[in-house]
Amino acid sequence: MGIEVKHLVKTFDKKVILDDISFKVDDGKILSIVGFSGSGKSTVLKLISGLLEKDSGEIVTTGGDIAMVFQYSALFDSLNVFDNISFALQERKDLRGKYTQKELRRIVAEKLELVGLSGIEEKFPSELSGGMQKRVSFARAIVTEPKIILYDEPTAGLDPISSTLIEDYIVRLKNETHAASIVVTHQMSTIRRTADSVLMLYNGHAVFEGTPEELCREETPYTRQFVEAAIDGPMKMN
Amino acid sequence: MKIYYKATYTYKIFRAFQAEFESFVSTLGRIVGYGLEFFCGLKNFPTTVKEILFQCARFGVSSLPITLSIVGMTSVIVAMQVAGEMVKQGGGNYVGMLVSILMVREEGVIMSGFAIISMIGSSLASEIATMRVTEQIDAIQVLHVNPVHYLFTPRVIAGTIMMPLVVVISSAVGILGGAIASNLVSGLSYKAFFDSVWFGLNMHDLNVCIMKAISFGFVITLISCSCGMAAKDGAKGVGLATTKAVVWSFVAIVILDLIFAAACFY
Repeated sequence: MGIEVKHLVKTFDKKVILDDISFKVDDGKILSIVGFSGSGKSTVLKLISGLLEKDSGEIVTTGGDIAMVFQYSALFDSLNVFDNISFALQERKDLRGKYTQKELRRIVAEKLELVGLSGIEEKFPSELSGGMQKRVSFARAIVTEPKIILYDEPTAGLDPISSTLIEDYIVRLKNETHAASIVVTHQMSTIRRTADSVLMLYNGHAVFEGTPEELCREETPYTRQFVEAAIDGPMKMN
Repeated sequence: MKIYYKATYTYKIFRAFQAEFESFVSTLGRIVGYGLEFFCGLKNFPTTVKEILFQCARFGVSSLPITLSIVGMTSVIVAMQVAGEMVKQGGGNYVGMLVSILMVREEGVIMSGFAIISMIGSSLASEIATMRVTEQIDAIQVLHVNPVHYLFTPRVIAGTIMMPLVVVISSAVGILGGAIASNLVSGLSYKAFFDSVWFGLNMHDLNVCIMKAISFGFVITLISCSCGMAAKDGAKGVGLATTKAVVWSFVAIVILDLIFAAACFY
């Protein structure tokens, strides 16, 4: 089943951020949540991952771990790549002591190979480029074999080539882990290259739900304005 | 119209006080909450000894030079001010007692506390605040690790262990500095000074000094970590969290000092 969100509502200081949002993502599928800045995209991820409490609604998952890749990687800058990736295996109450140092080394090497960064275990985040940091954060996210992976603007701040690489790795991780994935983005290239379905938010409401092809074809004022990146239209920037 | 402006002005002042009071209560509540969570986490003792030792080294090594300098100089200043006068008045035999009691009961521990707040407390608060605003603490939570247990436990344990050591060493250096200054300023012999120290100091003073140091170490690290944890709004938030940690720690140890003075010496 992956993940199903039903009638999700979230308010901050009486301001409605999400109003009756529902969607479903199956295992092995990627949903892109798109919309302007401040439309509540990242709030959806924080609610699913448990960083925020919902006001009402329901979030149903298949069980298992939920992993999240943060907008600016959020690697622990005092730890090297090995400790960053193996953090959950070393520090989580239910996993602590379960793996020997040798096993940890093998798991970390496997995950690094999956994101194309073998042999950088001893480097610190400050020694890596933005794209490499992002891929290390992918490796950290999948170390516990999660059933759901959440990506918060994974290509933000990256050059076009690094962005394409990251998009390819999102698809690769989906194929390798068969996890249900949600990618928050406002880049059309990310949507086209990664998404199986798209949900567009505006002012806390879902204004479009469909495939990337439908998003490009759809003639509603919201989708036209987003696809054409037009200033004039029903969606006003705050 | 004039009355209207006065009312608005008064209302604004009232609202400002109300906001400050609310901030005070919420900060206090947060510190107490984190303190309770810290104690709950202790039963699992999730932190490795290696991390505690690393924090102990950071606490002791980085704070000792500045703490010794401050406490040593304070002691020298006190000795310079009083030794000459006391020797002139025939009270030379009491100089060592005065300096040592001042060092062990008050100056050693409170000055070390101030130095630790400036060096370690501010560093802890800004470190954790930076982790908060760069989503590193969110990442810890998403990985199903309790950030209070992971971040607070080694730091608070290290502070509680290391503070008494720093205080004992700095107080000893303070007494030594007082002896040297007394000798240079008024010609008071070292023997007379230290005879007076043994006469004046007792185990009760030393016990209270260590108890104070333990509580100061605990409170400073807990407040600093708590203020860092509550940071928000980017770089400005890190600065505000650090300032709050320093101010709250200063006030807390002065209040604690007052409580110890009232409870242990009167």
